[in-house]
Amino acid sequence: MSAETSTRPAPPARAARRRSQEVRNLPAALLFVLPAGVGFVVFFLWPTLRGIWLSFTDSTAFNTGGFVGLENYQRMVADPVFWNAFKVTIWYVLLNIGLQTVLAVVVAVLMHRLTQSMAIRGIILTPYLVSNVVAAMLFLMLLDYQLGFVNELAETLGGDRIMFFGDQSLVIPTIALVNVWRHLGYTALLLFAGLQTIPENLYEAGRVDGASEVRMFRSITMPLLRPYLGLVLIVTMIGSFQVFDTVSVATQGGPANASNVIQYYIYQVAFSRGYDFGYASAMSVALLVVLAVIAVVQFRLTRANQNDMA
Amino acid sequence: MRKSVHVAVAGSLVLALGACSSGGGSGSGGSGEEISYWLWDSNQVPAYQACAAAFSEENPDVSVTIEQFAWDDYWTKLTASFVGGSGPDVFVDHLSKYGEFAAQGQIVALDELVEKDSVDTTIYAEGLIDPWRYADGSLYGLPKDWDTTAFFYNEAMVADAGYTADDLWSADWNPEDGGTFEQIVAHLTVDANGVRGDEAGFDKSNVAVYGLGINPNFEETGQMQWANFTGSLDWDYLDENPWGTRYNFDDPEFQKAVDWFYGLADKGYAPAAGVFSEETLTQVGSGKVAMGTNGSWATGTFKALEGIDVGIAPGPVGPTGDRASVFNGVADSISASSKKQDAAWEWVQFLGSSACQDIVAEHAVVFPAIPESADKALAAFEAKGWDVSAFFSYREEGRTFLPPITIRAGEVNAIASVAFEDIALGNKDASSLTEANEQINAVLAD
Amino acid sequence: MTTTAPAPVAPPTGRTPTEPAPRRHRRRVTPGRMLGWVVLALLMIVTIFPFYWMLRTALSTNAALPGGAADPLPVGFSGEGFRRALGLATAQESLADGGSGASMDFPRYLLNSVVVATLVTVCQVFFSAMAAYAFARLRWPGRDVVYAVFLAGLMVPTIFTLLPNFLLVRDLGLLDTLPGIALPTMLMTPFAVFFLRQFFAGISFEIEEAAKLDGAGRFRTFFTIVLPMASPAVVTLAVLTYITAWNDYLWPLLVSQSDDSRVLTLALGIFRAQSPQASPDWAGLMAATLLAALPMLLLFLAFAKRIVNSIGFTGIK
Repeated sequence: MSAETSTRPAPPARAARRRSQEVRNLPAALLFVLPAGVGFVVFFLWPTLRGIWLSFTDSTAFNTGGFVGLENYQRMVADPVFWNAFKVTIWYVLLNIGLQTVLAVVVAVLMHRLTQSMAIRGIILTPYLVSNVVAAMLFLMLLDYQLGFVNELAETLGGDRIMFFGDQSLVIPTIALVNVWRHLGYTALLLFAGLQTIPENLYEAGRVDGASEVRMFRSITMPLLRPYLGLVLIVTMIGSFQVFDTVSVATQGGPANASNVIQYYIYQVAFSRGYDFGYASAMSVALLVVLAVIAVVQFRLTRANQNDMA
Repeated sequence: MRKSVHVAVAGSLVLALGACSSGGGSGSGGSGEEISYWLWDSNQVPAYQACAAAFSEENPDVSVTIEQFAWDDYWTKLTASFVGGSGPDVFVDHLSKYGEFAAQGQIVALDELVEKDSVDTTIYAEGLIDPWRYADGSLYGLPKDWDTTAFFYNEAMVADAGYTADDLWSADWNPEDGGTFEQIVAHLTVDANGVRGDEAGFDKSNVAVYGLGINPNFEETGQMQWANFTGSLDWDYLDENPWGTRYNFDDPEFQKAVDWFYGLADKGYAPAAGVFSEETLTQVGSGKVAMGTNGSWATGTFKALEGIDVGIAPGPVGPTGDRASVFNGVADSISASSKKQDAAWEWVQFLGSSACQDIVAEHAVVFPAIPESADKALAAFEAKGWDVSAFFSYREEGRTFLPPITIRAGEVNAIASVAFEDIALGNKDASSLTEANEQINAVLAD
Repeated sequence: MTTTAPAPVAPPTGRTPTEPAPRRHRRRVTPGRMLGWVVLALLMIVTIFPFYWMLRTALSTNAALPGGAADPLPVGFSGEGFRRALGLATAQESLADGGSGASMDFPRYLLNSVVVATLVTVCQVFFSAMAAYAFARLRWPGRDVVYAVFLAGLMVPTIFTLLPNFLLVRDLGLLDTLPGIALPTMLMTPFAVFFLRQFFAGISFEIEEAAKLDGAGRFRTFFTIVLPMASPAVVTLAVLTYITAWNDYLWPLLVSQSDDSRVLTLALGIFRAQSPQASPDWAGLMAATLLAALPMLLLFLAFAKRIVNSIGFTGIK
């Protein structure tokens, strides 16, 4: 994570010199970091610390409660809805991120290898221009079992109607797909940026050696794209764990809790069933821990990749 | 102390912003007092704007600003604004929500105000004001309107099946075989080959028109689904309503009715859970459903459906010999955090008076809480050529009952909605409600 | 954000990011490439089809929609949806068409959205870039620890920060103002810092290295060399930030209370179901959504070349 030279051992004299240079840099560095630092402390750090504190209290939305120790956490461990929400969320993330990443790689590589067309890049990003809320409503209409165009089309083509949002086993895949639709362009563009750093002459050389596109994808594109993939995976996965709008608009967690994802459940507990901030905070802390573990693991993997490349 | 921390933070933020700010502030001038009023139903905005104008005429120093937010956003905004102490002075409140607001001290008890100004609270239709007395006995809202539910039907389909409006009005129902109501529903159902649901050779796996639509609203009230039926049993939601502590979802007769209701889908007479993601307005409007439950508030949108003439019939007469409907009412509450309590109370009083409710009646969107005003609304609906007498029929020749009102309604709803949806999905049968009932009672006993 | 062309600095290896992409050889049409085009075309259709559906619905009449739910053409063709979205229909007309009757001051909401998204984007990207620069290019004691803490911010669930930030904005007296909506993401987001830091760390700024500057010189370097050289990444981030700010919903919903600060996404709320058992104003909603997405599309097209061309990552550390 640190800049390239800092990991190399340096002779003692140079180290001392660098040390004093570092100290001399401090005022400028602090000035550079100050505005973002204020924003971070005020709008991220402080709310987080406050939330962690709340998770040990019986606070409601309207009243600051007293310290209750681990009570909220005990309740969480014993709450079947929480565990269900956790399971549902992980299933969602696997589907959403799995599909989205594969498709984004495909799209990015196709854009990179096939065409420079700006129109195609524009089109692929358009779904991101629509808000989550509207996207969810749109697909609710398109995928309606009885009245949706997609089912009408399926039937005309001789297939069976599919209960996208109404079937307990299909609802999460459906929501995952809706969000893949919306975020595919965003993800593909980030990866595309990475692809552009791959020197074209590697491909030229590959072609001279008679390598096929598939072969070049495997031995040139993938290895060099991996670090970018790592970055994109961290960011999209953290976002995916926090899926909320689509569920809130399209299914309200249903049918029968089959799409009650963790952030929706937390929101429900905090804002509509009992205004129980203490408990909602405890579940948020659990989510935070999960996200942190995932991020750390991924950072490790990304760094490992880097060694492959060196 | 927290305030001072915020101010300090504010200082540094202002510094940081200075470099990069373009402003864009707000300004609301004007003399006199301005109070804010929130509601969710945009159909009613014109009516209340007219009320606000009339109110300002009587009270020239007070003006009312109406803000409307769609239902899904309304409660989020309201909760956040209570937390932030920035809520509306007065807002339209709902029975399923106000209990928790009252418990948390976010809305104002009106008793002293009512007494001080000797407001006559007996002018409202019977049963409308009682549910707004919280468990502590205090009054938290003045009723503004009421609603009941009935069956909106496609007139052409009913005529094709050989029925008249009278047949629908005189239908009876029981939880064993569904009575003549089920016969009508069966006959209204048509499969893809044109075979009706009660005829030999009916293919229930290939239904073209369902006799009865079912709303995807799974709730403890059952208002949009089974309440018209269970209400005509000798059964009520709670040991005592409002503020009971034991639900009666474990009653075998009730469970039989619930099994019958969701069982209609197994017979092919009603769409299975998930077939329609939208409610009966869209279902009937699509021409794939002959009849469906909805509330009096939806009359206007049903009547506006293109190419379909819609009639309205009340719920069938059940084992008790009565037809029945949930009788629901909304009311106006005052935020505890309002800094203009006096003006807010004046406005609430005005909203609850016939001066305002008559104005609302003229707009023919809802039925006002004061019976004389409701009659005017009925006339206004009739003037549009809409027969809405079905919604009044329960009061005249049947039974109306309150939706269940308890503390911790949010949690109760969360448990009950999943329990009922599980039955509709065929995961469980209605006997599973006994277990859900125990969970709910445990919540209420807490 | 910057209009300067990428600085004339030779990157260390590989092809120059500013150089036009090498001329493609005319390649034979192989089955593999055909398949590639087919896959791309299919994905394009799936991507674009919902937009067609939005347009088709926007041009329909609400009362006719249930009857023609799966009709691929507009049902009861009408421009009323767009009139409502633009706030040109009267309340009476709007209610008669299944609209909400609420007033819709489209130009004003558009302006509000532009102000908020611009405020967020310009400030967030600028301040994040400053911080990213300090993390990537300056060596100072405690740097790695501070950066790690910043990164940890990536993992904070939004639900955590929602209410504390709301209370803070209230205490600052910024409820129902545009700066109030912009504030929490104006100074930074962990993602922006992360993204730019990775980018800055990867480029070799030889002039900067050679100059060995300190103090005020650092700022000059930052403005005249680092930002221009990094402009493709900065513009990519800026466009994505702009779109994200434009589409944000839950936060403005809490902060905004009146037309003074109502942004477009919130204004779309008046086309959603007004009461729990009602239907949305589909035609109006879809028309308004298309209109709201239009400025974003124009923005993207304006910057597209810059975003997708020659982003000069040379490695992520």
